[in-house]
Amino acid sequence: MSVSVLLVEDDEVIRKSVGMALERYGYRVDAAADGLTGLERFHAGGHDLLLLDVMLPGLDGIGLCRRVRESSLVPILMMSARGDALDVVSGLEAGADDYVVKPADTAVLVARIRALLRRAAPAPGTPTLVFGDLTVDPEALEVRVAGELVSLAPTELRLLLEFAANPGIVLDRQTLLRNVWDYGWDGDSRVVDLCVQRLRRKVGADRVETVRGFGYKLRR
Amino acid sequence: MARWRSLRWQIAALVAVASGVVALAVGLLVHQSTWERSLSLGRDRAVTALLTGPVDEGPLPPALAARVGPPGTYATWYDDSAPESPWMWGADGTGSVKIDMGGEVRGLRALDRNMALASAGVLGLVVPLAALAAELPNHRLRRVARTARRIAEGDLEARTSAGRGGDEITAIAAAVDTMAAALHDRLRAEQRFTADVAHELRTPLMGLVTSAELLPDGEVTDLVRDRVGVLRVLVENLLEISRLDAGAEAADRVEVPLGRFAADCVHRTGLAAEVTAQGDPVAVTDPRRLDRILANLVVNAHRHGKVPVEVHVTGTTITVRDHGPGFPASLLAEGPQRFRTGAAERGRGHGLGLTIAAGQARVIGARLAFGNDPEGGAVATVRLN
Repeated sequence: MSVSVLLVEDDEVIRKSVGMALERYGYRVDAAADGLTGLERFHAGGHDLLLLDVMLPGLDGIGLCRRVRESSLVPILMMSARGDALDVVSGLEAGADDYVVKPADTAVLVARIRALLRRAAPAPGTPTLVFGDLTVDPEALEVRVAGELVSLAPTELRLLLEFAANPGIVLDRQTLLRNVWDYGWDGDSRVVDLCVQRLRRKVGADRVETVRGFGYKLRR
Repeated sequence: MARWRSLRWQIAALVAVASGVVALAVGLLVHQSTWERSLSLGRDRAVTALLTGPVDEGPLPPALAARVGPPGTYATWYDDSAPESPWMWGADGTGSVKIDMGGEVRGLRALDRNMALASAGVLGLVVPLAALAAELPNHRLRRVARTARRIAEGDLEARTSAGRGGDEITAIAAAVDTMAAALHDRLRAEQRFTADVAHELRTPLMGLVTSAELLPDGEVTDLVRDRVGVLRVLVENLLEISRLDAGAEAADRVEVPLGRFAADCVHRTGLAAEVTAQGDPVAVTDPRRLDRILANLVVNAHRHGKVPVEVHVTGTTITVRDHGPGFPASLLAEGPQRFRTGAAERGRGHGLGLTIAAGQARVIGARLAFGNDPEGGAVATVRLN
């Protein structure tokens, strides 16, 4: 069963060429030309990843991202042609897991897609970790706050597992970009900051501590 | 010391001097009039004594003797030849009297002393009060200066928020705020323009890039892909320069192990360069921007210089050296200029790489210097921190 990507892009040439290029890499591509059509296609179901342009007619990429996140944890990769702070930050805030700046060649796009699709691998035999009222079970990949099951997007889960594996240790943004997002030096630390913010909303704001100028750590 | 040149102490000194001058003038006047009154009282007493019956007090002082007129007229003379026992002489041709003025002199001295003490006491109170009162406008001025500095450092949201009041400090604070707002608006407009241009250029470019990738391999495809690549680099460089020009870029600093970083960076360029590092230097800097600087310097060395290209890390200084003809004189004199690649024989390129390197160096607070080695070859030096 091949991986299915929903591509929402208004520029016809990009939509067609990226679709064809991804198909060459073995992905199944479902394409939509505007936000509302994209949302309909998404609700029709069956997508493993969303590849969204930020500027879309009708419902824009950020709005679409927010609507999808209301009901789904599917990995979302944004494409921004402006690449400025406003686009990037609002996209990540709306729930996107990562972004690429256009023009991105297919190799970069595929590398990002692979990094986002990389599921957190269950670690059999690892005991459940307890941090106050937060419990992380690396074997079943289950996260509970005060006994309640919390649903985390794949990136958020990988980020939490990274923290849980190093409790009380400060992890800098470069390390997190490398281990969670597969970036080298070229990652954008805002991706980490905004994913940490989303994680905090789900597991408790004071659970992940900011260490100014260095990074983050999970409070034991 | 600068603190003593502060406005507060200048105002306090001014108040002290003014108060001192006033106290001195008043003191002199009081001293003078009191003394004149004592003298006239002394004269009255001498004349009264003469009327009640003059005695002979011995030889008159010559100055008095000269003034003694016919009987019935009185002459007085103040004798301070012995400062501790001054006398008021009176004479009327028939005889003379002398009145002891010591009490008056001592009284006057006491008055002087008291006035000096009182003035000093009031000064001691007024000067600190003046300094304290001057602190208020001073504080507001310092806030204006602090805000202006923050604006200069790039925080265009900074405002003096001077509030109401019609004095000059409010006026200068309002002027600084207006300036900051104008700068902010212009920067915003420029950033929006840059972002719009970026969007308009990158969208068709992405279509071109991905479409070119789909073309069947072949000689023509290679030509197209090569030109698409050049166009893409050019567009990205231009956008980067306009972002740098807009001044909206901020460094994102982390600890970077420079030796390994330089080696990785050279590796990513895909070009050959020998990387050496002394020890294991670490710098706190923005790795993405430093990567741009080093990559551009290495690419430039390959494009315009000759191999071998050497990258050397010492402490927080990184040098990139080639063995070509060196940087042209115009670059050494004026720094990198966009779209100017110097002499024609320096080959292709848009002259944007070094402009970007210099701009990014400014953002991360590094100094980028261009020079030529005496033994030949261009040397670019990046000094971090």
